[in-house]
Amino acid sequence: MSALAAREVVAGYEPGLPIVKGASLSVAGGEIVALLGPNGAGKSTLAKAMAGLVPVASGAVLLQGSDITAVPAHLRLKRGLGFVPQTENVFANLTVRENLELAASLAGLDRRAAREEMFGFFPDLARLARLEAGRLSGGQRQMLAVARALLAKPAALMLDEPSAGLSPRYVAEVFAMLARVRQAGVAILLVEQNVKAALELADRAVVLVDGTVRLDEPARPLLGDPRLPALFLGAREHA
Amino acid sequence: MLQLVADGLIVGSVVSLGAVGLTLTYSLLRFANFGHGELLTWGAYLTLAFLGLLLAGAEMAPIGPFSFGWPLLAALMLALPATAAIALAVDWALFRRLARHGNAITLVIASFGAALALRNLVQFIWGTLPEYYTREIQIAIRLVPRDVLGGLRITPDQLLVLALTAAVVVLLHLFLSYSTLGRAMRATAMNPALARLAGADVAKVARATWVIGAALACIAGVFAGLTGQIRPMMGFDLLLPLFAAAILGGIGNVWGAVIGGLIVGLAESFTVPLLGAEYRAAGSFAVLIAILLIRPTGLFGARA
Ligand SMILES: Nc1ncnc2c1ncn2[C@@H]1O[C@H](COP(=O)(O)OP(=O)(O)OP(=O)(O)O)[C@@H](O)[C@H]1O
Ligand SMILES: [Mg+2]
Repeated sequence: MSALAAREVVAGYEPGLPIVKGASLSVAGGEIVALLGPNGAGKSTLAKAMAGLVPVASGAVLLQGSDITAVPAHLRLKRGLGFVPQTENVFANLTVRENLELAASLAGLDRRAAREEMFGFFPDLARLARLEAGRLSGGQRQMLAVARALLAKPAALMLDEPSAGLSPRYVAEVFAMLARVRQAGVAILLVEQNVKAALELADRAVVLVDGTVRLDEPARPLLGDPRLPALFLGAREHA
Repeated sequence: MLQLVADGLIVGSVVSLGAVGLTLTYSLLRFANFGHGELLTWGAYLTLAFLGLLLAGAEMAPIGPFSFGWPLLAALMLALPATAAIALAVDWALFRRLARHGNAITLVIASFGAALALRNLVQFIWGTLPEYYTREIQIAIRLVPRDVLGGLRITPDQLLVLALTAAVVVLLHLFLSYSTLGRAMRATAMNPALARLAGADVAKVARATWVIGAALACIAGVFAGLTGQIRPMMGFDLLLPLFAAAILGGIGNVWGAVIGGLIVGLAESFTVPLLGAEYRAAGSFAVLIAILLIRPTGLFGARA
């Protein structure tokens, strides 16, 4: 049984205009699946649909075998699905500590214990606890966003381009952190533009083109595979 | 001089409490509610109605130096949830439906309509003549002799209004800073989609915002009635000062609205000796124009 799965998901922003056109994928516990594809392919839309932020027209989202398609977005973290969106993924007007404590209380956890546990996992954040999240650097902000999504010990974690806009040092840091999260047995769905780095980290890769899954294979062997640039071509210049 | 400052702060207290509610509903629901003034009016009149029921014709025995007694506080406690119920009902019947399809302008116009209906309902039920919570005449205490900066006389009721406003603002600050619901309100104002991901039921948060905004409006209305008259137009007349204060403080900024309210109160108070009492509102208007011209994001800006 996979920890997180999408089954023939059709989703979009307006009725009758699907962006994701029947996509299926699955992630097992302790596995990282990279979700790749050209700009505008619908990667973020699929992730948002699985998080409950974009309506699913048909198909299903499964979390540890149970259908959560109809579960409201605000209950999914508690149910075990964390999501770190691509942009604006922390509350800039709240302190680091408030960002964490809010999610903890809303999930019904003891906010002090949950916060301290995350500070243990991300020591940098402990140092910045009283800072407004809007003042964090890009890398620190990603750490906080991931910590918020991990608070409730989710079975699955989705991240939308966590390395976007980060300097190479921070990218390495974020990816090393994801490897640690994987070791805790969490299923990770990683949307990435940085194809090479994602394939090196991930166990499997799913390539989405125009809302449909075109490839679902072990990640490592895809490094240097000529099919990848072919799939990305037409939508994006490939270096 | 001192007297003008004191008068300004008392008017400013009422404006502050109203402006905080206005700024909260604006930042969470993303539209300027022109019906907010009517919540002050309704709060004042509902308190009057409950007071009538509680007293049932008997006299209200004043507490210590104040003009009113415990029944007024009991009536306020009943009026708070009743005013909140009105705000929730208008939101349910009007704003929530329109928000699904319309834009901010639709909501603003709808709030004008709601304001008109609410105001006319007050006139229909209670008439247009001014009312008072008590006929008790209060003796103002001389706090400062006349030869120091013009002196200062203030009634115990006015002092109480100042103290209670400070207390309410501190309580609200603690609520927004430390309670889960208060933090969820700040988070939702910043980013509703992320608030949902963090586990906040944003519909519930919106309802809580109406309840708090309406409760503050009710308190402000009772303070206005206690230090002045209860009239059907009292809330409407406060609308300009409320908006001036909220914009001055930086829309969405709670502390800004409090400070903005006090500044607007002072501006109105100092307008009186300059232009005459009938031009009080010119003070608010001048503040509003000045801030829009000089610094449209308000003194403290909305934190982006
Ligand atoms: N909020 C929205 N409302 C309407 N259309 C949207 C919205 N967000 C995205 N789209 C459209 O959906 C399509 C897919 O966008 P999406 O963000 O899912 O792509 P993506 O694969 O994540 O791209 P990128 O790699 O650039 O992040 C695009 O055509 C985009 O214009
Ligand atoms: Mg994207």
